[in-house]
Amino acid sequence: MKILDIAFKDLTRSLRSLFAIGMTVIAPLLVTSLIYLAFGATSAGSPGLPALKVGIVNLDRAPSGANGEANLGQAIHDMFYDSRVRSWITASDYPDEASARAAVDRQQIGVAVIVPSGFTTDLVEKGKTLPVAIVQDPTLTITPLVARDMVQTVLDGFLGGGIALGTIGQREESLGISMTPAQQSSLTQEYGEWYVGFQQDLLDRPDLAVLAMVAPAAGRTSAANPTRSLMGLVMSGMMVFFAFFTGAYSMSSILREQEEGTLARLFTTSTSRTSILAGKFLAVILMVILQGLVLMIAAHFAFGVNWGDPRGAALALVGQVVAAAGLGVLLISFIRNSKQMGPVLGGGLTVLSMLGGLFTVAVPNVPETFNLVSQFTPQGWVIKLWHIVLSGQPTADLLSPLAVTVGLGVAMFVLGAAVFRRRLA
Amino acid sequence: MNPAIDVQSLQKSFGDLQALQGATFHAASGEVLSLLGPNGAGKSTTISILSGLLEPSGGEAFIMGHSVIREPGATKALLGVVPQDVALYADLSTRENLVFWGKMYGLRGPGLHSRVAEVVDIIGLADRQRDPVGKLSGGMKRRLNIGVALLHKPAVIIMDEPTVGIDPQSRRHILNNVKELNQHGMTVLYTTHYMEEAAELSDHIAIMDRGKVIAYGTPRELVQIVGEQTRLDLTLNMPSEVVLPAWQKVEGVSRVCAEDGKITALVDDSNRVLPRLFDAATQAGARITSVDIQEPNLETVFLHLTGRALRD
Repeated sequence: MKILDIAFKDLTRSLRSLFAIGMTVIAPLLVTSLIYLAFGATSAGSPGLPALKVGIVNLDRAPSGANGEANLGQAIHDMFYDSRVRSWITASDYPDEASARAAVDRQQIGVAVIVPSGFTTDLVEKGKTLPVAIVQDPTLTITPLVARDMVQTVLDGFLGGGIALGTIGQREESLGISMTPAQQSSLTQEYGEWYVGFQQDLLDRPDLAVLAMVAPAAGRTSAANPTRSLMGLVMSGMMVFFAFFTGAYSMSSILREQEEGTLARLFTTSTSRTSILAGKFLAVILMVILQGLVLMIAAHFAFGVNWGDPRGAALALVGQVVAAAGLGVLLISFIRNSKQMGPVLGGGLTVLSMLGGLFTVAVPNVPETFNLVSQFTPQGWVIKLWHIVLSGQPTADLLSPLAVTVGLGVAMFVLGAAVFRRRLA
Repeated sequence: MNPAIDVQSLQKSFGDLQALQGATFHAASGEVLSLLGPNGAGKSTTISILSGLLEPSGGEAFIMGHSVIREPGATKALLGVVPQDVALYADLSTRENLVFWGKMYGLRGPGLHSRVAEVVDIIGLADRQRDPVGKLSGGMKRRLNIGVALLHKPAVIIMDEPTVGIDPQSRRHILNNVKELNQHGMTVLYTTHYMEEAAELSDHIAIMDRGKVIAYGTPRELVQIVGEQTRLDLTLNMPSEVVLPAWQKVEGVSRVCAEDGKITALVDDSNRVLPRLFDAATQAGARITSVDIQEPNLETVFLHLTGRALRD
C-alpha cells in the first residue's frame, strides 16, 4: 500500500510540474505540429506537397496529309493537363520558347517542356524524333525529374510505335504484301490507342496492367493519405524520444528528494527502503504509460494518425514503457545530484535517440550502417516496434523485437535498481 | 524502567574523521534532553544514528529499550524526527503533506484524517491547509516540519536545531510547542547551539564537543561546574593577538580565547581582574573598546571545559 502511496505522490508532483508536463506532453506535440504545418497539411485528404509548376510550349503541328489525328506534341501537352495529375501538377501554356524561359527565370514555373516544330513529321515520316527540350530552374530537383520522366514515358511509346511500324514494313516485304497509307495510318492509330490504354491501366487498373505496382499491406493507409502516414512516423519518433526523457526525468525525483531532505526523512519512517524504491519505480512506469496514451490519443485527433491494430499498438507501448523506464532507472542510478542531470538527459539521451534513428524516422532509404547502429540502442528497438505497427504488419512480427526490447529494458532496470539499493543501503 | 533514550559509547567514523568518539548519555521518559554544542560537535551524527539514517562504527543506542541497530523497525515506529532543514514537498499542500507522511508512518483511513486535523491545530496551520507548502512563510514551514513528526504520536521526538534561521515569533511558537509536547508526556531530544534555548527547555543537557559528551546534568548542575567564575567579552582597537599572551598570564584569568575580533575571558572576580586586563592592554599598546560582563551560564561552562566559546 505504501508503494502505491509513494507512486501516487510522485505522479501528483510530476503532473503539477509545468516543466514535466511541457517535456512529456506539450513538447512532443509541438514539434510534431511544426512538422505537420511545415508540410502544409491542414486537411485529412491533402497529400501535403505543393503542386509542381510546369510550362508547356508546343510548336509541333500535324504533318500535312495526316488522317485528322492530333499532333504528337499535343499528346505530350495533354499529359500534363490530365485530370489524374491535376492535384500535383499545375501546367500552363506558353506561345514560344523565349517566354517559357523567361517564366523559368522568374521562378513562375519550375520546368518548361518545349516540343519543337516538326516533331510529329520527323517521327512519322523519317522514323526519328527531334529532341524535346526541358528548361529547368537549377534550384529544383523534384519538378525537373518528374517532368523528364513523364516526357520520357511518352517518347518511349512513340519510339515503340516507330519500331513496330518498321518491323511491320520488313514483314510486308518478306511476305510480299503491301499496305496502303490508310492501312498504315489505321495500324498506327490502333497502336496509339493500345499504348494509351496500357498507360491508363497502369495507373487505374493494376489488375489489368502488365506492370503491377503493389504497396505493402499497410500501405493502404499510406496510399490513402501519405500525410497521415508521415505524421505517424514523425509522431512515433517524437513519442519515443520524449518517453525516454520522461523515464529519466521521473526517476530523477529520487535525486531531488535527496537534495530536499525528504528522502532521508522517508528513511526515518517505518517504511522500508525497498518499498520506497519500488514506489519510485512504479511512478516512473505509470508516468511513461500515461504519457504514451495521452500522446497517442492526441496525435490521433490532432494529426489523424492511425496507430494500426490496437493489440500491436498496446504491445509496442509495453515495449516503450519497459525500455524507457529501464534506461531511466539505470541512467539516474549513476548520477549523484540534479546538476548532473542536464548533460545526461540533454546530451546522453539525445545522442542515443539520434543513433536510434528517432530523428530520421520518416527518412526513406537510410544507409544500412545507420540501421545497424540503431540496434545497439533501446530507442532503436522501440522505434522498430512502432514501424511494424504503423506499417500494418501482423502482430506476430512484433514478438521478436518486443522480446529484445523488453529484455533490454528489464536488464537495465535490474542493474539500475541494484545500484540504487547499494547507494541507499 | 528503561530510559527513553540510552546512548552508550557511540562511535562513528567517516574515513579518517572520528565524528563520534564514545558519546554516552541518556534521557528518562517524559523529559527534555538537549544536546548542546558547536557545529561539528557530533550532535547531528548522533541523531542520524538514533533515527536509523546511519549505522554506528561502535557502541549502542536504545529507544524505549529497543536497539536502533538490531530493531530499526521498532525504534522508527517510536520516533518522530524533525530534520534541521525543512523536509517537505513544496508542490503539495499542507494537508497533502500531512496525509502523505501520515501514511508513511502507517496511519490510514479515518484515524489518519482525524490525526491530521489535530496536528494542524497543534501547529497553528488549520487555516492554511490547502495552501501549497512553497507559499508558506519560513516559520510556517518549520512548524509543519515539526507537525509531520507528531502525526503518529511518537514516544520520543528528535528535533535537530529546529529554530535555525527563523524569525523570533516562529521561534517562540516552536519553543512553546516543545514545552506542550513534553507536558503531554513526550520525550524530547533537542539539539541546539543556542544555550538560551537549551537552558529554557531542558531537564538535562549533554554538552558535546569533538564527538564526545564533555558534561551532562541539569542546567543548574552544569553552571555549578564553573563556580563563581564570570565571563568577560571584550573588543580591542587592534588584533587580539597583541594582548592575548599577556592576558593569559594575568592573575585571576582561568581561560581566554579570541574569535572574529572578540576576546572571551573566564575570570574569578571581574572587579579585581578587569583593571589588570586594562593595564596589560595599555602596556601592549592596545585600547579596550568594549566590555560585556556575563554571569555564569552554559556558555561559560563550555568555555571553561574546552577553552573555546560555544559560538565557535
